[in-house]
Amino acid sequence: MRYFSNPVIKIGAHETGKPYFSHTKHQHLHFSQNSMQDNNSLNAYEVHKFMSKMDILVAFTGHFDHQMITILLKNIRGKLKTTSPEMAIEQKVYCILVECVENVSKYSSGNEDSSRNGMFMLCKSDTKYTVITGNPMLNKDIPSLKTKLDNVSKMSREELKQLYRQQIMSERETENNAGLGIIDIALKSGNQFHYNFKPLTETTSFYHFQTEIEINS
Amino acid sequence: MNALIIEKTEDSPGVKFDPATAQLSLSGESRPENAGKFYNPLLEWITQFESILFWRKEQKMDQKPLVFAFRLDYFNSTSAKYIMDIILTLNKLADKGYPIRVEWYYDERDEDMLDAGKEFAEMVKIKFDFLPN
Repeated sequence: MRYFSNPVIKIGAHETGKPYFSHTKHQHLHFSQNSMQDNNSLNAYEVHKFMSKMDILVAFTGHFDHQMITILLKNIRGKLKTTSPEMAIEQKVYCILVECVENVSKYSSGNEDSSRNGMFMLCKSDTKYTVITGNPMLNKDIPSLKTKLDNVSKMSREELKQLYRQQIMSERETENNAGLGIIDIALKSGNQFHYNFKPLTETTSFYHFQTEIEINS
Repeated sequence: MNALIIEKTEDSPGVKFDPATAQLSLSGESRPENAGKFYNPLLEWITQFESILFWRKEQKMDQKPLVFAFRLDYFNSTSAKYIMDIILTLNKLADKGYPIRVEWYYDERDEDMLDAGKEFAEMVKIKFDFLPN
C-alpha cells in the first residue's frame, strides 16, 4: 500500500507531542480496515483525496520549535524551487511562510503541552499559493493582535511602506517583532490575508490566519 | 583587533569582518533562533572598529573605506531590524567623517531583495551600491 505518494505529506505528531515529518514512517499513518466504517477514525485514502482536492503541498501539525521549523523550511524551500515558475514568487512565498510559521512558534514555544500545538499548510493551485496557519492562543492576547491585524489589513501599499519604515526605526520592544512581520506579509501578498478567532474554551481561542500569493501578479 | 569570522548555518548568516582590509560581509540566510544573541556581537565589533579607524586617521594613514557587503539570500523581519541597526551604526561612523560604503548583492530574479536594500538605503546617508550576484 502506498501512502500519500503525491503530494508528499508531512503531518502528525507523536504521543509525546513531538511531531514527525518523514513520510517513510508509515507506522504513524496506519489505519485499520475497520476505520472505513468508523466515522471517528481517519481514513488514509479520504485524507489523501481531501489533501489533493485542496491542492495541499505540505501540511504539518505539532509543536513548532525552532529546530523543527528549520527542517521544515529547508524541505519546503527545495519543494518551492521545483514547483514555482519564477524565483520572485518562490521567494515571496518563502518569506511569508517563514513569518507565518515563526508566528505560530511564538505561541507554542516553551510549551510542550500538545493542546498548544499549531498547524500550517501550504497549498498551490494554478493561480495562487495559499499559506494557512492555525494555533490556539489565550483570549487575553487577542485584542492587541486583532487591532494590529485590522489596522494593517486596511492600509494601502504606501501606508504599509510608511509603517514599515516607522517600525524598523523604532525602539525594539520585544525580541519578536510581530508588527514588522505582519507588515511584511501584507506588503508581499498585496494585502491578501484573512484571519479569525474561534473560541475554544473560556480562556483560549483558535487563531486562523490565511494569506494568498497570486502566481501571475 | 581580531577578525570576526562566523561560519554560516542553515538559519544564520556567515560573518567575515576583517579589520586589516576593512572589508565586512554578511552572507546567507538570516532567521536565527535568537537574533539578539547573534547580531549584538556584530554591532559591538563595528562599534569597536571605530577606534581603529580613528587611529588610522590620526596617523594620517591611507584610509581604506570600510566596505560592508550584504550577500543575503533571505532574512526574516526580526533580522531586518538588526540589519537596520548595522546600517545605522555604519551611518554614525560616516557622520564622523569615515569613508563607508555598502554593497548590497541580490539575485536579479529576486526583486524584493533589491527593494529591501533600496529601502535601507533611503533611510541613511551612506552610499549603497546595488550589485547583481
